[in-house]
Amino acid sequence: MPAAIRNLRSNPHFLFVRLPKLLSLLCIVVGVAWLLLLPLNEYSRRTYISENALLPGQVHAYFTGSEQNIFRGYKKELEGILNDETKDRAEVTAGYVSRGGHAEQLLILDRVSDKVQSIFEEAGLKFARQKYEYNSAGITHQGENSYAIIHAPRGDATEAIVLVAPWLTADDKLNLNGVTLALTLARYFKRWSLWSKDIIFLITPDSKTGTQAWIDAYHDMHPASVQPLPLKSGALQGALVIEYPLEHRFQTLHIVYDGVNGQLPNLDLFNTAVSIAGGQMGIGANLQEMWNHDDSYENRLQTMVRGMTKQGLGYATGAHSSFMPYHIDAITLQTKGEGWEDEMALGRTIESLCRSLNNLLEHLHQSFFFYLLMQSNRFVSIGTYLPSAMLLAGNFTIMAIALWMRTGYYPETKSVQTKGEKAPAEEKAKTSNIAERKLALPLSLVVGLHLLGLVPLWVFNNVSHQYFTTITFVVLGVDIILPLSLAAILSNGLGLSKPLIPQQYHLIKSFSLLLLGLSLSTLATLNFSLSFMIGLLCTPLSFMTRLQGAAPARLATSGLGLALLNLLSPPTVLLGVCWYTGVSVETVLTEAAFGWDVWGMWTQVVVWCVWWPAWLIGGVLLGSSIF
Amino acid sequence: MTTFSLYSLPLVALILSLWSSIVIASPDYHENLQLHPLPQSSLLASFNFRSNTSQESFDQQHFRYLPRALGQILQHASTKELHLRFTTGRWDAESWGSRPWNGSKEGGTGVELWAWIDAPNDDEAFAKWITLTQSLSGLFCASLNFVDSTRTTRPVVSFEPFGDHSEVDQLHLLHGTLPGEVVCTENLTPFLKLLPCKGKAGISSLFDGHKLFDAAWQSMSVDIQPVCSPDGDCVVQIEQTVDMVLDIDRSKRSRSNPIPRPVPNDQLVCDTSKPYHSDDTCYPLEKTNDKAWSLTEVFGRTINGICPLAEVEGSGEQSVCLHVPHERGVFITEGAEEIKKDDGFTRCFNLASSGSFDLSIPKQLVNLEVPLDEPVLHAERTIVGNGQERGGMRIMFGNPSNISAVDFIYFETLPWFLRPYIHTLHATITGRDGISRELPASEIVKETYYRPAIDRERGTQLELSLSVPAASTVTLTYDFEKAILRYTEYPPDANRGFNVAPAVIRIVDNVHHAPIYLRSTSLLLQLPVPDFSMPYNVIILTSTVIALAFGTIFNILVRRVVSLDQASALGATTLKGRILSKVVAIRDRFRGKATKVE
Repeated sequence: MPAAIRNLRSNPHFLFVRLPKLLSLLCIVVGVAWLLLLPLNEYSRRTYISENALLPGQVHAYFTGSEQNIFRGYKKELEGILNDETKDRAEVTAGYVSRGGHAEQLLILDRVSDKVQSIFEEAGLKFARQKYEYNSAGITHQGENSYAIIHAPRGDATEAIVLVAPWLTADDKLNLNGVTLALTLARYFKRWSLWSKDIIFLITPDSKTGTQAWIDAYHDMHPASVQPLPLKSGALQGALVIEYPLEHRFQTLHIVYDGVNGQLPNLDLFNTAVSIAGGQMGIGANLQEMWNHDDSYENRLQTMVRGMTKQGLGYATGAHSSFMPYHIDAITLQTKGEGWEDEMALGRTIESLCRSLNNLLEHLHQSFFFYLLMQSNRFVSIGTYLPSAMLLAGNFTIMAIALWMRTGYYPETKSVQTKGEKAPAEEKAKTSNIAERKLALPLSLVVGLHLLGLVPLWVFNNVSHQYFTTITFVVLGVDIILPLSLAAILSNGLGLSKPLIPQQYHLIKSFSLLLLGLSLSTLATLNFSLSFMIGLLCTPLSFMTRLQGAAPARLATSGLGLALLNLLSPPTVLLGVCWYTGVSVETVLTEAAFGWDVWGMWTQVVVWCVWWPAWLIGGVLLGSSIF
Repeated sequence: MTTFSLYSLPLVALILSLWSSIVIASPDYHENLQLHPLPQSSLLASFNFRSNTSQESFDQQHFRYLPRALGQILQHASTKELHLRFTTGRWDAESWGSRPWNGSKEGGTGVELWAWIDAPNDDEAFAKWITLTQSLSGLFCASLNFVDSTRTTRPVVSFEPFGDHSEVDQLHLLHGTLPGEVVCTENLTPFLKLLPCKGKAGISSLFDGHKLFDAAWQSMSVDIQPVCSPDGDCVVQIEQTVDMVLDIDRSKRSRSNPIPRPVPNDQLVCDTSKPYHSDDTCYPLEKTNDKAWSLTEVFGRTINGICPLAEVEGSGEQSVCLHVPHERGVFITEGAEEIKKDDGFTRCFNLASSGSFDLSIPKQLVNLEVPLDEPVLHAERTIVGNGQERGGMRIMFGNPSNISAVDFIYFETLPWFLRPYIHTLHATITGRDGISRELPASEIVKETYYRPAIDRERGTQLELSLSVPAASTVTLTYDFEKAILRYTEYPPDANRGFNVAPAVIRIVDNVHHAPIYLRSTSLLLQLPVPDFSMPYNVIILTSTVIALAFGTIFNILVRRVVSLDQASALGATTLKGRILSKVVAIRDRFRGKATKVE
């Protein structure tokens, strides 16, 4: 062993060039393998309820019997109004769904929300409305929230629970049953005297904007285009979203839990929902659209990857997502499939969930906020999964540190000596292991390219949506031209400066990878999935370098490398994913711009200010071998 | 001994006769119950018990109506005037109109106490205040002993004494609140014990802890103050009130079946005019306000006669009054007498001196409603912003009047860990048209009394004198910073948040001259909370490390290597053996030193 270490010392090429590459590769392989191990029984855990106060399913739910008659009554009433407006039901739905018909949608909702108001007020609730308007990517989103509050019978407005029923579900379907159920539950809950917290019933026009406008205004953090709330309650302890867009009985409940920027609700809330739906009510609970989960390794992995994709992209997956940035735990209950569970079963599930939340003495804090779910009763916590993304991020840092050391201690044997040649021979012999680092140009290039990332960030969030596809292709073109031209300038100087020496190429790479490793490891603690995804897509950058060797082979390799690298550039990945999933680029980018403007989504910042600059520098390094 | 008693007999007789003459002159115990049916099937029941004791007998510790327990506490703590409030729930001004007693008999959520204490200086006043809170804590089974310096304030303009005080007293006003205190039956029992009839007879026999604390809003108060007549006769007056708003539907549920199960299909009240109405589809018709109820149904009890001490022949006072339109039929127990007042809405009852009294109102369609007083001011206070570091306070004052501005004093006490930035105090005014404009806070705030907090010693005290113009809403906002507490300062339920006491609003009413009080709801402040398991992890880890390091070093230091025969000598139990072992030990010590020097 000591011999091996001594050997290593005397072999700087191995120590500075080969070993970091091996270590980086090892980090990547172990990081990915780590993730693949997680679904195994040995690495994941069964879920459990941490907060004893929740007592899920310990109460009898009484929402049955004649309440169903009232449900039907309310539904007919609302249906009647919807049908009055347009004789054809399909047209109404179309009116809701079409993004262009916002004015019409508002008109219909005005009429309906008058009815909603009268129902709430007859049931003895306090009612208020809130108008809002958002502009994003040249599209105006406007609507009106209506909400009503049951005052806790003996309470004093310190705490509250929110029940949300959007008129349009996350899939843009008319959620008539959900809204009706909220109204029926409001009337039913009003009779109970056991509520320790206020219950707020929020009816939003859609799942994207309504809750965001409401929750922002609730905390007085709303933009000027959103009205303030005339009626408020105390600190919000939890939120449930009801979605029942089906016209028939349902089979299972689909629990959606992802929040904006990959934030998650407390695992206890999810567990309570699963435990009540599955244990007390006998309704199955699904997650991540895994309808036939047989608890096999493949299915667990698939569930986890789906969850990671949603978390990584960081968009709002439903009306509940907007609550998460305010540290309010929220989930959406969606009805799925064709079975024999009716709206009363969903109502009882929600009643039981509300009773559990009502029991809470403290804000949900006992259980995990960082977890990956792979089955409704199996999860891994941050301590287990975090090393995976950290190893991926660590590979860049290792490479960066190695390059930094190499530029200091290990002068290139074949390098074009600029200063070294001028130095006296004896001095050169003495200091052969120490080289002066030329930091100015590498530093300014790396910083400059990172700042350049603000340009696409600004453009993609400020132009109108119809230009998005064009701009994506423009960025694609820039991605091909910019690294090559930069490489040409740097290698040949083009009269502007002296050509770069190899040490400077190493320094450029070192700084770029250092920043990438730093950003990704920080990000891993906030949004694991995004960090992992970007880390995985950036792995080739660790090995990008200026190629040496004979011209034809070098040109061919670097050309091929550049072509391959371009396949992993942000716009190409975007186009590829869009082509694979069949969603148009414009839709994705419109959603992203909307996320930035309304939800406060940070994914684009990571893409344009972390990933893209690092990728550009990789391209420059590879491109420089052509010149 | 005998001579003493002989001599003192006339004196005692004199005192007795004097005392009885005072009692006869002012037969001073009154009790009164006012019942106001409110919209949304609520019923406000206001109980009031008032008694007077002359200042002389109070000073000589002759207690008749004033409870001895309370009287002695007051004397011990030199308290001249005392106001104690126990409140739960919130008054729904939107539905129920203005508050009972103009808000002067209610406190903020939890317990509120303020008193005028006679003391030469502030420090002694505070020492007496602590004595007072400690004693009252025991008397009322409340956590009043937690009113420490951080929860005590000295309001300047928000409170004024109700009583008549002599000018020689140096009075200090001290005010303390416990917003997190849960008021419950354990507070009701000592409260009832203070009453002359102790809940056995008279209107106090209606008190049932189950019903009282099931109320949507309830407030218990104790006020003690000296009241002087113009000719200089002073009495110490104790007034106890209980106000509660009961939900008639909820109270009428039997105690054996309190669960509001869905009603059977045939009992649903449906709107049959709807075209879709059928056996399984029902658009519910909500019931009207004119609900049938009776005392027994709502309170679970009947009034058990009248309290004999309150019996005043021919004084024309009735102890039970009901506020419903005269056209509405009311059935009462035989023996009682109904007297209708001229205002058209009030009728009072003369109860028979013994036997139970019940009152029942049948279901009846009445067009006339008892008019509700419009509240003079709406106030709402909320915490805004998010994050663990900073937040903001938003206070909204709505003036419903179209004619006159409202002048009032806004008083709030903030715990020290909430650090307000008063320079960020901003005012926004919104008219009826919904257009809001910013204006400098100085235009709305006329005067400010501000005493900043000292960490762990006292809270912030802020009194603002404000004026809200007619038909407008003023929003005050300021930012604050949340302090990080020491690890041991967190309560067991740190994640619930910390209660911030309700703000008190005193409206200066030029018409009635008596001030109107309003209180906002209490707030929950979320503070940054550490991961409480972490210190334990650290403790466990460091203990392990210390145990390992210390154990090894200690082992090396104290272990002595001895040969086998020496060891047998060490282990000997005989006297000789013990002496030998000591010798060996001493020798080893010397040797050990010697070897160490080497």
